[in-house]
Amino acid sequence: MSNEVQIMSAPLYLNRNLTLSLRWAGGEGIKIKSKIMIKMAVIVLGLGMGGAAHVQAHPEFQQHIVKSTGRPVNCALCHTHADGPEGTAPGQIGHLTLAQQAELGRARAAFEPNAKPNSPILNAFGNHIINSIGKKKFLEARLAPGQLPGLLPKESDLDADGIPDATELAMGTHPLIKSDGNPWLLFKAGFLSNLPQILLALAATVLGLWGLGHLLRGFAAAAHAEEEAEEAQE
Amino acid sequence: MKLPKQLQRIEEYLAERFPVEKMNYASMVKKKEVPVHRLSWGYYMGGLALFFFMVQVVTGLMLLFYYQPTVSDAHASVEYITNHVPGGALVRNIHSWASSLMIASVMVHLLTAFAMKAFSKPREITWVTGVALLGITFAFGFTGYLLPWHQIAVNATKIGLQTVEEVGQYLPGQMTAWPAAIKEIIQGEASVGQATLSRFFALHVIILPLGILATLGIHLLSVQLHGMSQGIDGQPKRLEKFFPTFFLKDLRVWGVAFMALFVLGLCLPFESLFSYPLFEPFNPKGSTPDGIKPEWYFFWVYYPLELLPLWVIMLGSALLGGVLVGTPWIFRNTSRRTLVILAIAAGAYLVVMTLFGEQIYHLFKG
Repeated sequence: MSNEVQIMSAPLYLNRNLTLSLRWAGGEGIKIKSKIMIKMAVIVLGLGMGGAAHVQAHPEFQQHIVKSTGRPVNCALCHTHADGPEGTAPGQIGHLTLAQQAELGRARAAFEPNAKPNSPILNAFGNHIINSIGKKKFLEARLAPGQLPGLLPKESDLDADGIPDATELAMGTHPLIKSDGNPWLLFKAGFLSNLPQILLALAATVLGLWGLGHLLRGFAAAAHAEEEAEEAQE
Repeated sequence: MKLPKQLQRIEEYLAERFPVEKMNYASMVKKKEVPVHRLSWGYYMGGLALFFFMVQVVTGLMLLFYYQPTVSDAHASVEYITNHVPGGALVRNIHSWASSLMIASVMVHLLTAFAMKAFSKPREITWVTGVALLGITFAFGFTGYLLPWHQIAVNATKIGLQTVEEVGQYLPGQMTAWPAAIKEIIQGEASVGQATLSRFFALHVIILPLGILATLGIHLLSVQLHGMSQGIDGQPKRLEKFFPTFFLKDLRVWGVAFMALFVLGLCLPFESLFSYPLFEPFNPKGSTPDGIKPEWYFFWVYYPLELLPLWVIMLGSALLGGVLVGTPWIFRNTSRRTLVILAIAAGAYLVVMTLFGEQIYHLFKG
């Protein structure tokens, strides 16, 4: 596969391994292998497309979650990078290798469910959404972002925190972070799954206090008896 | 007054506060009695604060085995503790919950001690060391907040240190530059970075623990020497022996606190009370997430700071500090009834600002 590309042709597919071809008029072509030039090209294009702020892939969903739950979520809910897919940082398009670009291409073509996409710019939950409902249905859901949780499988719980992914999405908590979730639901799930440990700790505490109580009372009684004996001797 | 006379007065003052003749097992334990009355529950608050402090020491030492105090590894080491060290998530979660519970119990202890007039002669030093312990506890909270090096930690610390610098504009002459210098000393460099993390780590795990142990030693010695204060006007219902009766009751309270802490630590991650972007690793080049604010125990000063001019808060804080330290002398002749009303008012303010500070802020700022 040729790794010679024109900067303007496909900025989203530029990566650090690509080679730029520049040809002098009437002279020999030279190849400049340069990360810096490619990053500059992406930055220039990025600025041209909409300023220095990070670009969100599908802002409808994020906006809907923030509005309906009041929780400030970011792109890391579904994407690898917290600032979204556009850029040159790890997990963003400008940082992908050729193999990862190919994966991205396959994931972008997963219009039907169960295509098992492995997009490098999406996290496990992002890929789970595309795998569960397909890219086509996902794009349609942009018109009614509130319906997306209802389209996802009810039983899936990727972080095993006891709260299904669909519920976590509806509540604006992260389906891949075990410590992030509705506090009451997390407490309920944690309490039920840890009930044996809690009962054992309770038994140990009660028995420990009972034993300690008897020990201290014994010390006090012994000291008192000793005192009385001393007084009697006197 | 001549120097020998001054020294003699100081000696007399200290002898009354630390009576040598009472420094024995019989006076401090065997003969010690605790009054029983309607406010007796207040006597357990100090012990509860001590219990949470001990939990902090034990869990903190455990975390120390894995935590890396460098900007490149701090967040990753905390993630490692949480996700890969056996029992790491539980220990870390208990450390987080116990820090909040310790600060809450210290605050309640201060208010109940105030309401019960536990600062009156000869307990002035007990009170002043208690106020110092409150300050040290807040410092523990502030320095510990930065250590995980996530978004909320670094950004909230930046805001806190920025506030210190802003104080300079209200000071006269050469003093204008002092707050900036103090900020830089705390920060260690131009911005919050590795030097800040190193300093906060040293403060959190060495300097503050040494300070709290020394102050706590004097505080507890003073409590044992003078016994529990009467607590109410008039006679208590009865007196009970400190050892073993009250001590055993104290241990039962600790048992309940331990179970509550264990269940919380096991079932409810402290971080679930915040949104996840706040716990992403701090990235100086990335966007700052919404919702950056200090820990809940600073809300009573944070929201007023957002609403009112800084000089008002400075004046208020200076007054509060002065009143807190000077309480044994300022309220020497105040009745317990008045003190209870003042303590309830202060407690209500703390609760309202902690629970509804954000709503109050939005009410005024729109």
